[in-house]
Amino acid sequence: MNLAPREMELTVNGATCRVQARGCDSLAQVLRGQLQLTGTKIGCNSGECGACTVLLDEQAVCACLVPALRAEGAQVRTVESLASEGGALSRIQQALVAHGAFQCGFCTPGVVMSLSALFSECPAPDEHAIRVALQGNVCRCSGYVRIIEAAKALARGAPA
Amino acid sequence: MTLRHIGKSPAPQKEAVAKVTGRAIYTHDFALPGMLWGAMLRSPHPHARITAIDTKRAAAMPGVRAVLTGAQADVRYLHMSPRYADRYPFARDVVRFVGEEVAAVAADTLEQAQAAAAAIEVRYEQLTPVYDVHESIAPGAPVIHQKEGLPPNVAQHTFASWGDAATAFAQAALAVEGTYSHGVVVPVCMETNAVVAAWDEAQQRIDLWAGTQSPFFVRKEIAHILGLERHQVRVHSIEIGGGFGGKSQAPEPIGIAALLSRAARAPVKIVLSRKEEFISGKTDHAKTMTLATAVDAAGRIVARRNHYLVDNGAFTHMGPAYVSAVRQRTANLYQVGAVEFDGKLVYTNKVSGGSYRGMGAPHIIWALETQIDELAERLGKDPIAYRIEIANQPGDVTPQGFEISTCGLAECLREVERRIGWQEKRQNPRPWRGVGVAAMINPSVGILYTEGNFANVGLELRSDGRFLLATQNADCGTWQNTTLAQFVAQTLDLDVNAIDVLHMDTDDAPDDLGSAASRVTFMAGAAAIDAANQLMTRVRECLQAQRGVAADAVRFVDDGVRIGEAEHLGWAQVAGLTGPLKVNGHHKLTQPYPDPKTGYGNYSATYAFGAQAAEVEVDPETGHVKVLKVVAVQDVGRVINEASLDGQMHGGIVQGIGMALTEDLVFDHGRPVNTSLINYRVPRIFEATEIETAYVETHDPRGPLGAKSSGEVSINPTVAAIANAVAHATGIRFRTLPITPHKMLAALRRKEGRQPDLKPWLRPYNLEVATARSLYPRGLFSAMKKLGETFAPPRPRVTTWDYARADDVAEALQLLRAPGRRVKLMAGGTDVQPGIRQGVYAPDLVVDIARTRGLGGISIGDHVIRVGAAVTLSELTRHEHLRALLPGLCEAADLIATRQIRNVATVAGDLAQEKRCWFFRSGLPCYKNGGMSCPCYAVMGDSRHHAILGAGRCAAPCVADLAPALTALDATVIVQGLEGERRIPMAEFYRWSGETTVSPVEIIVAIEVPRISSVTQAYEKYAQWRGDFPEASAAVRLEWNGDTLRSARISLGGVSPLPMRAVHAEKSLMAQAARTPARTLTDEIIADAARRVVYGALPLRDNAAKVDMAISVAARALRRARDARHA
Repeated sequence: MNLAPREMELTVNGATCRVQARGCDSLAQVLRGQLQLTGTKIGCNSGECGACTVLLDEQAVCACLVPALRAEGAQVRTVESLASEGGALSRIQQALVAHGAFQCGFCTPGVVMSLSALFSECPAPDEHAIRVALQGNVCRCSGYVRIIEAAKALARGAPA
Repeated sequence: MTLRHIGKSPAPQKEAVAKVTGRAIYTHDFALPGMLWGAMLRSPHPHARITAIDTKRAAAMPGVRAVLTGAQADVRYLHMSPRYADRYPFARDVVRFVGEEVAAVAADTLEQAQAAAAAIEVRYEQLTPVYDVHESIAPGAPVIHQKEGLPPNVAQHTFASWGDAATAFAQAALAVEGTYSHGVVVPVCMETNAVVAAWDEAQQRIDLWAGTQSPFFVRKEIAHILGLERHQVRVHSIEIGGGFGGKSQAPEPIGIAALLSRAARAPVKIVLSRKEEFISGKTDHAKTMTLATAVDAAGRIVARRNHYLVDNGAFTHMGPAYVSAVRQRTANLYQVGAVEFDGKLVYTNKVSGGSYRGMGAPHIIWALETQIDELAERLGKDPIAYRIEIANQPGDVTPQGFEISTCGLAECLREVERRIGWQEKRQNPRPWRGVGVAAMINPSVGILYTEGNFANVGLELRSDGRFLLATQNADCGTWQNTTLAQFVAQTLDLDVNAIDVLHMDTDDAPDDLGSAASRVTFMAGAAAIDAANQLMTRVRECLQAQRGVAADAVRFVDDGVRIGEAEHLGWAQVAGLTGPLKVNGHHKLTQPYPDPKTGYGNYSATYAFGAQAAEVEVDPETGHVKVLKVVAVQDVGRVINEASLDGQMHGGIVQGIGMALTEDLVFDHGRPVNTSLINYRVPRIFEATEIETAYVETHDPRGPLGAKSSGEVSINPTVAAIANAVAHATGIRFRTLPITPHKMLAALRRKEGRQPDLKPWLRPYNLEVATARSLYPRGLFSAMKKLGETFAPPRPRVTTWDYARADDVAEALQLLRAPGRRVKLMAGGTDVQPGIRQGVYAPDLVVDIARTRGLGGISIGDHVIRVGAAVTLSELTRHEHLRALLPGLCEAADLIATRQIRNVATVAGDLAQEKRCWFFRSGLPCYKNGGMSCPCYAVMGDSRHHAILGAGRCAAPCVADLAPALTALDATVIVQGLEGERRIPMAEFYRWSGETTVSPVEIIVAIEVPRISSVTQAYEKYAQWRGDFPEASAAVRLEWNGDTLRSARISLGGVSPLPMRAVHAEKSLMAQAARTPARTLTDEIIADAARRVVYGALPLRDNAAKVDMAISVAARALRRARDARHA
């Protein structure tokens, strides 16, 4: 048995960092616990709510279901990467703010990352594609109404 | 002054940027140096006596700093009030529900704390439990609590009558009566309950960071539990991930963390898991309401009777508020003559109710508004016109003592009528479509709570000219902080962005009850205005004293102070003159409290009214109800922030959709079994419907700027409007909620007098199964349950494990044979990892094969299509060529889970995932968990999702979507062992649901599908939410010779333990197609064949709906496969 943590390299938001991870540690745990990237939330720890959605090699995944050790050598992007260093919000973030597409905000980083994956794959998705992309993100506050409105506005290329 | 700071042009949420960037810090994210982790040991029994607790072993474990049991905590929680106090932080002597806290541990890490909690040895002597409210108050029931002056198991009894209801009923022209019941709904905040508690030994103080709606309650409660004065407890400001009542009062983890922190002399953090949140969090209260309404010939309500039981669960938290909420809606919305009610709050051995949005109002309104619809129907009146006829009017005093000040109910009803297109849709309904309406009344802050009738807001002008508004109310995402700032902004004509808001802080903000009962806008809003007014007075006084400016020469406009006409001072200049100023705004309701026994009195300063209309579509084949649109028109007095208000409406309405159609905590012997977001079905984005909102502004003189409450009014009429729309669409009025597809199909079958043709004798084994099932209620189940509970070994659990990545298959095969290791292969990990956390798997070595060479890739040959085992579902669905050749497979993959899951989950992983039976996954000692001597819990328990065909000792169905798809496609699974490759036809792949014929030392390497020209395929599935496991699915492959059907393969998922070929249907299809002159598959032939897919079925108590669902998906898949021939 080798349950001791192993040092590994993790490339998060373009920067390479060294972290300690055991086989049982999830990427979400390491991001939050060791890198203090707490924008990635854990709502269920079972891949059911999408609050921990990050991009792993540009694909939306639940960070709670990615073993940290598997992420070695991959590109991880979290919500913290989206606003510019000067603090300017990304288009997606601006649209969500402009449409008031959240309330408590706990699911919001996951929604932002799911939309990032969607719009980098397809700049003008229709409403069905928007819903498919967000169906893994549970939001209890908003009724999804303005999340869909914000995403449709982005798909139209409307300024936020 | 114009109202330019409130209304339509919304002030964006103050926390918006922090939230979208991930910078907002919630309790989950918060840490202190030297912080420990807390974990609880919970009762596994619904009712048992604790005969011994031994914590020695746990206390000696690594990292453990404190262990607490009931012996160290001998003060009862206050919860709603000392009168109802019945619960200690830990069970003492007796446990009363599955999940009750028995002990807690603080340790250096969460894993250490969990391991130590599990190592606490508790001996129980089981007591007879009672789960049903009627049984609980029947003579001879086991006693859960005995309250003084009340019968056993009754926590509260309220009854009264006004007027002569009995005579009115006897003389009425018409009366309707019905019993309405519903189960437990759960708030499901996205942030589970969490707390960081930090005891300061030197100062004898405790600091708390916690997700709570009410820091005020928390401070009071924690001071009480710890034996401190209130000032020794401080709750700090933090972001809160949702409330909805689930974080009202003081959630138990806060008290336990505080006790642990004091015992360990270190900060302690507790974060509830999602499962803990379900089994121990505060839920809604289940209720049974027998309601009768009598009218005279003109339709005026002459009397109403309401006898109801509120299921309290094992302890009293907010149960009395539910008793009150049901009582207070009995005769207050419409004009009612005489009233009689009788309500009891009844203990059962289930998780305690807490509070959830609406506090029971959505359910009583559902019952009431169902009856109003029934009356309208029998009176021959239009439901909306009838409601307007009998609506309360401003100035009315109801029989229960409500004084109606402003009332926009009629306008609300007329507006929903217009917006939903009521007349057209009622008069010319489309088949299976319906529209329904419901109305509601909501106290704008009931004066229910001690200390709930006042509000305070601190307001400070700081030296830099900015303002700080301080409130103890917690903003759980409702934009409360923004709205409160808007009241100040409006009063001072000040840019709302110049106001910072500190919420929650019990030291730096003045006392206020908290964010509950829709009270913040109404109560704290008034206090905020008072604060702004006081500040103006102070500034005027100062300017008069220092500069001799007359008070009436000072005006507060344009982000500053205008003195006379010429001079304008910005707030920084004002602060320079006055110095920082701090005031405390106050608002108090002065009306008397209602009578505690009967509730008679004026509950609230004013009342919000509203109406909603819903349009639904019912699928008569699957029983699915889809909400197409909801129109909500609300008398909110005055709109303060329309964006915030719309947000409340959207959220409440969609929660109402869940409450009406899908949400229900399912208990087995007191244990919740659907404790995950997969099978506790909160609405997801496909359930979100079109919502239209509008507001009637009655400018209530008692509300701040005329505003009334709004937080809960959003959900209150939704359930009733949907139920009434369902009745319009189907003619069926449901008496229980939620209206699941299972209930819908059962009701439709009853209504149409249909009996399914199942021919169970076609499966001879059914005789044996039916016999065994018939013995279950006659003692077999309880005997086996007892055997299983006594002798079945507990499922092993692991919290840590090794991880190895296999570069190639040979390495993986070596690792599988690692001596002495329990090895589990993991590809996507979407089943393995949750499975380990649930205790379904207990490996000590996980071998990652997601990127193992030789397991990926899709190759399309002339005769065979080969899909690598580790190909992800997303890769499948995005492969254009594959989609053209195997549309049935790709359609199945499309409908699995969510985008995030499909991006990592693999083909082989879908096939090999463990069974999803909620009894099995809950760890009950069932046949599959505990072995031969254990029962199948589905026979007596809630079996709605179980198999109807081919079940035996275990009734778990096959829910892997790819399994029926690949079976229909005649696929072969290629597995490799050290000895070489083995080919397993899909028909031989499964031994049982979730159990395959792949040996523990073999690896699935690929799936091969024969490439046959001239085939068409389709996959159809019914699940309650897109991506959910199938209730029923059908995969079809039709092979053609020209226009002649050469062969047909139909395979079913979700209905049997194996992906079953529907041989009777296939034969019928072939035979009938051969007989038709044009050899075409007509709809009739397909329908006839589809009916045969359920031949041999033997449904359980709750899953007969799957018969219809299976027939429906089979027919749909067949039609699509046929149509694809000419597409």
